[in-house]
Amino acid sequence: MNQKLLEKLSECVEFGKINLASPYPPQMKGLPGADEITKEALEAGVTPTEILNDALIIAMNKVGQKFSENKIFVPQMLLSAKAMSASMMHLKPFFANGSVKRKGTFILGTVYGDLHDIGKNLFGMMVEGAGWEVIDLGIDVKIEKFVEAVQQNPNAVVGISALLTTTMVHMKPVIDAIRIAVPETKIIVGGAPLSAEFATSIGADGYGKNPQEGIMWLDKISA
Amino acid sequence: MKEFINRILQSSKVTALPVMTHPGIEAIGKTVREAVSSGEIHYKAIKYISEHFDTLACTSIMDLTVEAEAFGAKINFPEHEVPSVSERLVVDLESVELLEVPSLEKGRISQFLLANKLAAENIKNKPVFSGCIGPFSLAGRLYDMSEIMVAIYIEPDIVLQLLSKCTEFLVNYCIALKATGTAGVIIAEPAAGLLSDDDCKEYSSNFVKQIVDSVQDETFTIILHNCGNTGHCTNAMIASGAKALHFGNAINMEDVLKQCPKDIVVMGNLNPVGVFKQGTRESVRKATRKLLDETAGYLNFVISSGCDLPPFVPEENIYAFLETVEEFNTKQYT
Ligand code: B12
Repeated sequence: MNQKLLEKLSECVEFGKINLASPYPPQMKGLPGADEITKEALEAGVTPTEILNDALIIAMNKVGQKFSENKIFVPQMLLSAKAMSASMMHLKPFFANGSVKRKGTFILGTVYGDLHDIGKNLFGMMVEGAGWEVIDLGIDVKIEKFVEAVQQNPNAVVGISALLTTTMVHMKPVIDAIRIAVPETKIIVGGAPLSAEFATSIGADGYGKNPQEGIMWLDKISA
Repeated sequence: MKEFINRILQSSKVTALPVMTHPGIEAIGKTVREAVSSGEIHYKAIKYISEHFDTLACTSIMDLTVEAEAFGAKINFPEHEVPSVSERLVVDLESVELLEVPSLEKGRISQFLLANKLAAENIKNKPVFSGCIGPFSLAGRLYDMSEIMVAIYIEPDIVLQLLSKCTEFLVNYCIALKATGTAGVIIAEPAAGLLSDDDCKEYSSNFVKQIVDSVQDETFTIILHNCGNTGHCTNAMIASGAKALHFGNAINMEDVLKQCPKDIVVMGNLNPVGVFKQGTRESVRKATRKLLDETAGYLNFVISSGCDLPPFVPEENIYAFLETVEEFNTKQYT
């Protein structure tokens, strides 16, 4: 029974079925979505950790894989991420009261001068689904805003996104300023024009070509 | 259009049409903010380009905010970069229903029309192309780009209604641009490249087609630009009916040329930043030559930048690009 619910939930997330009201995907129209099934699962005694590990993370891995193979596109991936967020809403109380531990806090933003946020949003939702608390600072994030956020959350990991070759050079000053404020902060960067070499050259600790790589890196440093 | 399109299709020489105005803005000593705000300055930048670079045509500024501004979106104007939309204008069915299709007097539209008019009247040595944003990208700027991506599946009615308002405005705008006397319009639809081929057709090309059907004719060519296409939505672009398609650097030009009918002009796709801005004379020559070799023999190919050239591209790189095209033509055909 519980296993069935986890499978159903995983399927909702994989195919982007957010809730009962959502007409997408057409073949699941009128059926409960990630929202309702998570509620049902919790009531049936499935633990939040099981929901996270045995449904959400598995589903998002599949989604990431399909995206990298061009089998699905940005809208489908965002729908999956939304379905996952709908499920996460029910897990929030357990995170808040400490009965389930988050892997950590992740501060995310698009570097100043840059307004592209689709990739950043996707990555943020996937990180949340992987069990982190995500603080999204938005786009065009100035150095001071990053610094302020790490000062308020000194154990947080920071992610910075850039989509323009003209703004990726703004990442180093951000990293330098964060390191002055809270020196031990771990920082990962990403975005289409970046490379692993570039990330190393500006002093970032990690680089993710895609969300899965980013999450693998986060898992490694939080293990 | 026949004239412009046929000239390309019937010439055995490769022609070059880099999408650029920033080098002109810089050369006349103005800032981006000044150029996107004043039709006079905008025109002078185009005029400079027309006089200094041997290209097939010149283009107006790719400012993807004028149309959103006309609808009422708040815009930021940095001094040296293109403006940007600062916040979402519509959020739900109600706000979309209330959204008015603006008149052409709103925002900076009249300044853009003025720039096009002055350019069409005064630039005699080559055609001038107007520019505007595409319907899906405009809708995304008004509704939020990530949100519209999801909404096409969960609230398609809202998106379709917003798209028809955007298209109605763009049709009016393109009719006015045509009346200024330019040779056509480059419709920039970058966000549609993030959709699957089917979705790109339904949420972008079907609407672009309405613009095409309203203004494209013998004298006025639509160039549909989509730099988000990585090769997956070329059929959707073809379905728009535009006589010329313009591709970004994320795509393989040879594959595109194989896929497109021979009577459609295909333009692209040297990286505007990696090649033009950050390259050297030598690296520009190499990249240009490589693309020319790969696309040799396709009469419908026009070599171009994959997108608008950003501010502060070294002029010598643009000359290196044009020289290489010239050399290629003479070596091949004389
Ligand atoms: C959509 C788009 C826009 C939209 C942005 C809407 C939005 N809210 O984001 C609009 C129309 C507004 C826009 C504007 C501009 N754009 Co634009 N845009 C694009 C486009 C088509 C897609 C980008 C995108 O969203 N991709 C999809 C996402 C999912 O991919 P992604 O962002 O790379 O993210 C993935 C990974 O990189 C990774 N990731 C991302 N961030 C992070 C962070 C971390 C920490 C990690 C681990 C991973 C990670 O995960 C994601 C999922 O796989 C690209 C072309 C292209 N094909 O990429 C051009 C492109 C990025 N834009 C470009 C340009 C030049 C501009 C403008 C300057 C154009 C202009 N003249 O106005 C302006 C810039 C405004 C500004 N100051 O930022 C150029 C950049 C060239 C360069 N190398 O610098 C591109 C490449 C187009 C081109 N071929 O020239 N753009």
